[in-house]
Amino acid sequence: MNFDQMKETLLAAAKRAGLQEYEIYAMSERSVSTETLRHEISSFSLSESGGISFRCIVDGRMGYASTELLTEAEMEALVDRAMDNAKSIESEDEVFIYHGSEYYEAVNAPVEPIPDAATLKACALLLEQSAYEAHPSVSDGTQAGALAFECETLLCNSHGLELHNRVGSSGVYIDAVVKQDDESVSAFEVAKGGDADALRALATCAVDGARAKLKASRVPSGATDCVISGRQMRSMLSAFWSMFSAEMVQHGMSLLKGRVGEAIAASCVTITDDPRRAECPIQTSFDGEGVATYRKSVIEDGVLKTYLYDLKTAKKDGVVSTGNGQRGSYTSPVSIAPYCFCLEAGTTSLGDMLAAVGEGLYITELKGIHAGADAVTGDFSLEAAGFRVREGKIAEPVKTFTVAGNFLELLRGIEAVSDKVAFGYPITAFASADVLVRGVSVAGE
Amino acid sequence: MILEKKLLEQVLAVAQSTGADFAEVYAERTLNDSVHLLDKKIDQISNNVISGAGIRAFLGTRTVYASTSDLSREGLLRCAADVAAAIGEGREQVSIRLGERMFPNIHPAVRISSSVAGSVKTDLLKAACFAAIEYDDAITQVTGTLVGVDHTIQIANSEGLLTTDRHIRTRIAVSAIASDGNENQSGFYGPGRGMGLEMFDFIDPREVGKTAAAQAMVNLRADYCPAGQMTVAIENGFGGVIFHEACGHSLEATSVAIGNSEMAGKLGQKIANEKVTAIDDGTIPGAWGSVNIDDEGNPTQRNVLIENGVLKNYMIDRLGSRRMGMPMTGNSRRQSYAYEPTSRMTNTYIDNGPDKNEDIIASIEYGLYAKRMGGGSVDPLTGAFNFSVSEGYIVRNGEICEAVRGASLIGTGTQILGDIDMVGQNLERGQGMCGSSSGSVPTDVGQPLIRVARMTVVGRS
Repeated sequence: MNFDQMKETLLAAAKRAGLQEYEIYAMSERSVSTETLRHEISSFSLSESGGISFRCIVDGRMGYASTELLTEAEMEALVDRAMDNAKSIESEDEVFIYHGSEYYEAVNAPVEPIPDAATLKACALLLEQSAYEAHPSVSDGTQAGALAFECETLLCNSHGLELHNRVGSSGVYIDAVVKQDDESVSAFEVAKGGDADALRALATCAVDGARAKLKASRVPSGATDCVISGRQMRSMLSAFWSMFSAEMVQHGMSLLKGRVGEAIAASCVTITDDPRRAECPIQTSFDGEGVATYRKSVIEDGVLKTYLYDLKTAKKDGVVSTGNGQRGSYTSPVSIAPYCFCLEAGTTSLGDMLAAVGEGLYITELKGIHAGADAVTGDFSLEAAGFRVREGKIAEPVKTFTVAGNFLELLRGIEAVSDKVAFGYPITAFASADVLVRGVSVAGE
Repeated sequence: MILEKKLLEQVLAVAQSTGADFAEVYAERTLNDSVHLLDKKIDQISNNVISGAGIRAFLGTRTVYASTSDLSREGLLRCAADVAAAIGEGREQVSIRLGERMFPNIHPAVRISSSVAGSVKTDLLKAACFAAIEYDDAITQVTGTLVGVDHTIQIANSEGLLTTDRHIRTRIAVSAIASDGNENQSGFYGPGRGMGLEMFDFIDPREVGKTAAAQAMVNLRADYCPAGQMTVAIENGFGGVIFHEACGHSLEATSVAIGNSEMAGKLGQKIANEKVTAIDDGTIPGAWGSVNIDDEGNPTQRNVLIENGVLKNYMIDRLGSRRMGMPMTGNSRRQSYAYEPTSRMTNTYIDNGPDKNEDIIASIEYGLYAKRMGGGSVDPLTGAFNFSVSEGYIVRNGEICEAVRGASLIGTGTQILGDIDMVGQNLERGQGMCGSSSGSVPTDVGQPLIRVARMTVVGRS
């Protein structure tokens, strides 16, 4: 794909149209993935895609258009479409094409080349084989996979700003199915990859995880002291992070309106967003508007420090952008999103937290997050599974119970945070340590 | 025609040149346009052109898929060569001759969004959103989207098929937030059709807005739903999401063919009450989940999945067909060329049954009436599902009483199928976007009012 040539055509068309302020955002992506089934490679996929977005300001309004059809005629049409779209916008919010930040701190993530097909396939097969070897109850339906991607982003605009980012990464996953006495359960593990020993360890972890769920029982209903695992707390953050988006706050869709500086969580809670963290899936030194990115605390020791801002919302609140105006892809407009939104580790070990619970639950699965959690109201009611905690230790597995509450009440009720963060690398931008919460509303038998 | 016939023949020949027993090209050009309203003003308008192709090869039940947005001759031949290199090692001379085949267009569109003036679309969206804003003073925020999709596909395969289709769809969605100063509650309604803006000849945009606002208001005044085991009546339309999540996904070849479904191996067995007949029908004219042909070029069909409680069929794509030794059912779907297709639902619903709706409510001594459902999810391996009730009421002594909020319903597919003991007569469908391994595709869910004898209701009190 010849972006440079398309860029020149677009810039020329924009000038001819008499535009003063405009921006080109282009992205190209290459990915490879493979999956196993019953000791064979069952699928192998390669994908190459790319496209260009053009946006421009006409009479103070921003219009967008994008295309994957990279021809000269289409570039001309793209400018016309974006201008047309701008003319129908009614919102009077001030919009910006950015002049550029003073300093862009380089990202420190190495760009890994995409491995060859044979390496990727061997990796997936070894992972699946290791799962079968880990225990005789592992059964058909077990699948392993390996994937790798690289992505290039280009942003240039009428103020002469020109930025470029390239990221590349890879990962492996195993979905281990265990069958015993007519009961089937599965467990999923994902990791960045690694050598044969690391793959075997990952497979064993998935198989052990699945086996531990066998013969799960129900739990009684009532207020229950719980440790919520870092993985599940990370899912909660993915469902509720938009409360911290300035866009949601300014439009009355967040319960956090007017609460910066207030203690909204327990003092042991600190939540950061760090675009340069090693575990951040897409490290970048600039956001979708060209603003430099940086690490910030959203909640520090329980106190709400800032919302996440792009240029438009920052202007409205009289602050500067936090560099969170992202473009999910060239087809999406700028919208606020985090990079690596993390409930940071505390000082208590998981063992000490379980001991502090004494009798209660260790929640290791929350299902239906996209349907059972509402970021506008903060309410959640979710199906859960996990383990009974008896005498301060993990005991028998439990399933098909539900936990319900409000996210802000949950943050306020956190009594302790564990010393280990569960990152979702390479697949999610959320991370969390385990948390201890007392009196969670649990509905079981 | 997106790609020339001769080029397609060459691309297929290259894809098959190392021994693949089947090859397929799927080319796409889609224009998505959308208008968005926030704070009483149109704040975003965008249109995106999606253009590319996916090439797939089979060797038995092994598949290789490659996609590219580069539709040049060189780009496509390189992509086909990548597929060939990944699927086999031999070298064969392959010659493909394509014969064009057109299927009847049973979903004709008249007023296609991309060729209608922008002001027509903004007026429709404003009519819907302002109806919500004006519904009650407690409605503090309304957002709305009007989306038009103009999707042209071309499919060619090594069996000689060459066909094209154009599919138009339109959807309007309104979200309303009601607030009493202390807390927020939300309401949503989003009808869509497999047609152009003529959809609004029989869907009044103002009713869409009012429906979303009314739901937010009901929830604002409702108490939390009690939790526990109870009898649940689930209303028609989007209530059908229960069957979609609890059973539909478990009937897709994607999970059945590899044994990862609780429905695998149960054909001919009684899996539900005899009042339950369930159908997946991609041929309903102008429906949101309908298409003329599926994404492997097979015409869609009306598949009876469960008849009077007996499991009759699965939803099967080409790979599933090979794995299961059963015929394809016109259910292969994908979000775009970037996704390898797999078996998916189209318009899936429980058919009308023998019970009168009033008898269903009257039969409940104490339970929950789920008037509107939100979304949900399922683990096909265990059939465990959960979904949220977006508007619910307590039923006491056969009468619908006070509204309750924050309820979710959980259970497993086999269990709920057995526990549906009354099926009413007001079948309607509702629209949603269904996510799975081949991306997000439009699907209708549907049912008449049904009664589930016993269900776990998740609540907060």
